[in-house]
Amino acid sequence: MATAHAPASAAGPGTGGPLAALRGRPALGKLLLLLAVAAVAVPLVHARWGGGAWPGALTADLSAPLGEVNDWIVSNRDSHPLFVYFLGHVSNAVVLSVRGVYLALLALGWAGVTAVAALVAWRTAGVRLAVTAGACFVVCGLLGMWVPTMQTLALMVVAVLASVVLGILLGLAAGLSDRTFRFLRPVLDTMQVLPAFAYLLPVVLVFGIGVPGAVLATVVYAAPPMARLTALGLRGADAGVMEAVTSLGATGRQRLLTARLPLARKELLLGLNQTIMMALSMAVIASVIGAGGLGDRVYQALSSVDVGAALAAGIPIVLLAVVLDRTTEAAGRKAGTEPTGRAALRGARGWALAAVLAAAVAVVGRLGGGRVWPEGGVVPVAGPVNTAKDWMVDHLYTGIPVIGGTADWAAHFTSWILNPLRGGLQGLPWWSVLLIVAALAWTIGTWRTALTAVLAMAAIGVLGVWEPSMDTLSQVVAAVAVTLVLGFAVAVGAARSERLERGLRPVLDVFQTMPQFVYLIPVVALFGVGRAPAAAAAVVYALPAVVRITTQGLRGVDPAAMECARSLGATPGQQLRQVQLPLARPALLLAVNQGVVLVLAVVIIGGLVGSGALGYDVVFGLAQGDLATGLVAGAAIVCLGLMLDRVTQPTARRSRKES
Amino acid sequence: MSESTAPAPARTTSGSAAPVFSVRGLWKVFGPRAERVPGSEYAGLPPAELREATGCTAAVRDVSFDVAKGEVFVVMGLSGSGKSTLVRCLTRLVEPTSGTLTIDGEDVLAMDRGRLRELRRHRAAMVFQHFGLLPHRTVLDNVAYGLEIQGLGKAARRAKAAELVEKVGLAGLENRRPAQLSGGQQQRVGLARALAVDPSVLLFDEPFSALDPLIRREMQDEVVRLHREEGRTMVFITHDLSEALRLGTRIALMRDGGIVQLGTPEEIVGSPADDYVREFVRDVPREQVLTVATAMRPPTAGDGETGPALRPDATVSEAIEAVVRSQQPTARVMDDGRLLGVVDHACLLDVVAGTGAHGVSV
Repeated sequence: MATAHAPASAAGPGTGGPLAALRGRPALGKLLLLLAVAAVAVPLVHARWGGGAWPGALTADLSAPLGEVNDWIVSNRDSHPLFVYFLGHVSNAVVLSVRGVYLALLALGWAGVTAVAALVAWRTAGVRLAVTAGACFVVCGLLGMWVPTMQTLALMVVAVLASVVLGILLGLAAGLSDRTFRFLRPVLDTMQVLPAFAYLLPVVLVFGIGVPGAVLATVVYAAPPMARLTALGLRGADAGVMEAVTSLGATGRQRLLTARLPLARKELLLGLNQTIMMALSMAVIASVIGAGGLGDRVYQALSSVDVGAALAAGIPIVLLAVVLDRTTEAAGRKAGTEPTGRAALRGARGWALAAVLAAAVAVVGRLGGGRVWPEGGVVPVAGPVNTAKDWMVDHLYTGIPVIGGTADWAAHFTSWILNPLRGGLQGLPWWSVLLIVAALAWTIGTWRTALTAVLAMAAIGVLGVWEPSMDTLSQVVAAVAVTLVLGFAVAVGAARSERLERGLRPVLDVFQTMPQFVYLIPVVALFGVGRAPAAAAAVVYALPAVVRITTQGLRGVDPAAMECARSLGATPGQQLRQVQLPLARPALLLAVNQGVVLVLAVVIIGGLVGSGALGYDVVFGLAQGDLATGLVAGAAIVCLGLMLDRVTQPTARRSRKES
Repeated sequence: MSESTAPAPARTTSGSAAPVFSVRGLWKVFGPRAERVPGSEYAGLPPAELREATGCTAAVRDVSFDVAKGEVFVVMGLSGSGKSTLVRCLTRLVEPTSGTLTIDGEDVLAMDRGRLRELRRHRAAMVFQHFGLLPHRTVLDNVAYGLEIQGLGKAARRAKAAELVEKVGLAGLENRRPAQLSGGQQQRVGLARALAVDPSVLLFDEPFSALDPLIRREMQDEVVRLHREEGRTMVFITHDLSEALRLGTRIALMRDGGIVQLGTPEEIVGSPADDYVREFVRDVPREQVLTVATAMRPPTAGDGETGPALRPDATVSEAIEAVVRSQQPTARVMDDGRLLGVVDHACLLDVVAGTGAHGVSV
């Protein structure tokens, strides 16, 4: 309301025309008010601190105090009671349980593990997925990645169990108490939009580099979706059913156990699915802080640009992701439907049979072979892949007539788009960046989101990492632009053509399940290292979500409205422009929001393949043990993530969630 | 007109005089500091002014009635008239703001949680408009749910549930899930679930509104049959006048939270209390609701000899048929061989045309 009033009163009373115009277009009113504030504030601010990059007078150098904290923790880790009596136990418990699971997996033998995976998949999702699951583990063995796969799996099992327990406890608290929900929801919502990299440093600060830190970072990253979905599921229980249950005289406990929890089963299983996928994603990234396993192999290979070795470790990650996702997703889909299949195999009996079969295979496997995949059974892929990559470097990188080569494209993208964008952002006066952020956030969202966004942006300046943040921001903006252009184009096509959508669906499914980390492998193979490949990986990572949300939004447009437009003789173009796009506006805004969040996550990880900026600062801090630099960069990443999310956060999404 | 609803023992109810539910001056006000509204200067305000003055909405305002044992007490009104809130107040699914409420003489509002749970478990069971079935359970386990939370063993509750599934005509569907049933079948499950706990009162909250007209008719017949067989007391909420007239022993007509008129179907149709009720019942085929006892005139000399004999509770349309068939000018209204009055063509046509002044004579 204030937005419409202030400029109107400036225009003087009795001018009904402009006032009415402002009422009709609240965005214009907001912008005018902002302009008025800027007109007063900017000259003052500019005279005091000047334009250009964030003024030095307004920064706070945190590296010294952070370095002290780091030193204090390092020197007290073995003596301070907090570490000795609490964190030390946590750390030991994590190490012991990961070790225990790892040994158990080895004890099962490769045949046993493969059989267990296949049989679990069979019971939850059917024969086809059982075959896929079995094949997945065989391929892991064939690629020579059995031991790293088991290491990753062991870490995953522990992290997922801890995440699920933590998530359900938080979810129960938030689901049953309004106050807890009001407090937890913004926290959980925000945690979901932050890049994985931001979680690494605080954990390293406390636990040091190693398995405990990796597991805890994974838990912190993976528990929020479980908590969030548990809470939403419990709160979303059909009010009619709950009332009926109450009317029959159920006690509070009975209501929870016999109605509320079972009604939320779909959300609980969806939460499990998301938690597992995020845990896998993080367990791979956490190789940077000593998680070991598959992620470590990729990390090592990428740092020496050994695409073959990276691919050999990357394939098992993708396969694991696909199998885990499909299995848990099938469990979620089956929840609440009638059991099918032969009566003899239903329920407990089917599981018992599966257990017996798995045990038998494990015993036979251990008697016949060893604990790990036999050395002789490894198919070397790194060599051939590297040969192919060398051929690509020779033939595809540059000098192809007319279209150029991939390296040429990357160079052009860098010099024509990324460089000018970075130069422009870094050259802009700092206050104008704040103004742009405020204007964008306020027009799309509310004054709250605008305030959060501006404060987050200012915090980046205060932290003294304005320049690298603008660098990261330029990469994000460029990658988001490419993602949106490609994504909307594909989505419009998919919304119109049933066949295209059907063809696209499995591709999107696979792409959406892959952890962020593995996208770096193909782009390094194609484009080398630098900022352009990181942007390319970000585009590829964010594209499926954008395409999917947009397609669903366009397809979800009220068919009555479409029919009405058709009956009035609208051309397909008119239908798209005048009916579909306006009605799908919420979905489009959501797609932009998701695109921005996902792109940022990968652009940051791009620090591993030479994209520089904030991501590199984090990697550098970890590699050199200079946690102060890393922590400041991590905090800047959090601020950047918060800013980007709030800037693109539509009002509708907030209010819809509230209702 | 809630003052007119003071304890009027209904002539059509059977059984003892002690009411099952007795409601006096019941209020339910939603909004900030709702408890100040009843009995204050706000109490008489129309809904819009009340909201303007206090920010509150009175869903139920100063309602009093008795539900006699064995009757079907219908509460009817348009959406927003407060009828669903009223029925929820009876078992405190919605906590009343003020007033008194007793079940079998026991104060419901004074019950503690345990006692209230006992009430809900054993004495009053409810059937809901949207069924409220548990989607993850089979039909049988849904019906057994009420018994399960009472702590009954698995075998016992399943046996009892199977009996009721049979009774509501769902035999053979025991192992289906609610989502696999039609709306009518789902509501039969809801009905069986309520019956399974053998409550002394059945509460229905617009149970058939979500069903197709044909299925609705079928379900109404089912309720009539159940009531005839078991004589269970029922409180039935509906917005459908024909449903109310078909099922109700007595009908309370609600508007803006208050009861506008309470009476037998015949009283509602025959002598509407005000213009609102009159408008409401305008299209009702009166000859099918009003009885000859209402339409008859005192006998004059010679009337007693001829014409077909009718019982006083015969409807006017039955009388028309009898008069036409017998070719006589009048029909006699007889009770136990005693002549109460006669109906002639003029009396009967007055009812059909809605021109006669039908004061309720009994």
